[in-house]
Amino acid sequence: MSDAADVQRVLNGDVDAFARLVDRYYERCARFAVRMLGNRDDAEDALQATFLRAYRSLGKYQERDKFSAWLYRILVNQCRSIAARRNHRDRVFVREEALLLNAPDRRPTWTGEDEEFVQRVLAELDPLLREAFVLKYVEEMSYEEMSTLTGVGVSALKMRVKRACDRLRSRWERIKDD
Amino acid sequence: MTDDLNSLDPYVQWIVAEARRPVYMDASGEARQRLLEALRAEPQPKRERFAWLLEPRVALRPLVATAMAAGLVGIGLIGGLLIHRDGRQVDEPSAHVASSQLPGSIAPRAVKFVLIAPKAARVSVVGDFNGWDSSATPMTTQGGGADGTWTVFVPMQPGLHTYSFVIDGTHFVTDPSAPQTPDDGYGHRSSVVLVGGSSS
Repeated sequence: MSDAADVQRVLNGDVDAFARLVDRYYERCARFAVRMLGNRDDAEDALQATFLRAYRSLGKYQERDKFSAWLYRILVNQCRSIAARRNHRDRVFVREEALLLNAPDRRPTWTGEDEEFVQRVLAELDPLLREAFVLKYVEEMSYEEMSTLTGVGVSALKMRVKRACDRLRSRWERIKDD
Repeated sequence: MTDDLNSLDPYVQWIVAEARRPVYMDASGEARQRLLEALRAEPQPKRERFAWLLEPRVALRPLVATAMAAGLVGIGLIGGLLIHRDGRQVDEPSAHVASSQLPGSIAPRAVKFVLIAPKAARVSVVGDFNGWDSSATPMTTQGGGADGTWTVFVPMQPGLHTYSFVIDGTHFVTDPSAPQTPDDGYGHRSSVVLVGGSSS
């Protein structure tokens, strides 16, 4: 069943149809929230707030928009709000050094349990750069989609993504010779 | 800059590849259950886009009954606000929606949409009647489009409908002569037309 059909069912009184929308988008939204907020507690708060707000606002949703894009706009705003309210950097464990020591070519390798490493790297980026980078390369959105979602112009978004990539690269240059 | 992932530094590619890994946050299903319980405690959402029309201060403006082709009688809305394209004021469009009653109390009405947009290369109308598909209902110009008047007739069921015009395939513009829905919270509005009714 399509998103639009499920939305219509909810608006017609079938509240359980919203559970299907939750199930359809929960994991994808979870990935974005974790990448943006750096920890799962905050990410779960963002998800709860996002789906609640979407449910409350469903009457305003217009069919000409993709439901996923509409939901993402809410998610991005919730993540921004939570990031602004909280500073949980101390909850992001730094395992980077141990990881580097274990990597023969001094390039980090994924062990299946080192998600914190990527989280730490992303958390070091300015939030707006991180948001643009994650939307572009993790969520694989076009710049036009990102612009619609964030309200930021395409050229500004391209610059943010470029700066994020530059900072990640220079970070690697900095640590690989230590 | 290019946005091709392969053009990125290998280290950045590695970060991207790892960040794309799925995140499984709710293996026990507890978070989902909490969310669904919270949702059930909420009032049921209702479609809100027409509620404002019931307020006394708002009314559709019938203009002039005009004899239309094939004996159809139209009522219309007309106005002359500016449309902004690409952030510039390039047109002075006016739009006109005329609905024509066909025999039968619940028969579809032929609704004429008109948009004056002299600099547009193509225009279509989208709405709840065509799934907001910008390729479904293209509008046409007469006489080579010299006056920039784009029109199309659309058979529509009686009732309230929301619609927008799409200029050159990408720019959604509301009808400057018609009432609009409230902002959906993300800067989007649509136009509203009331089709049919015994008085039309």
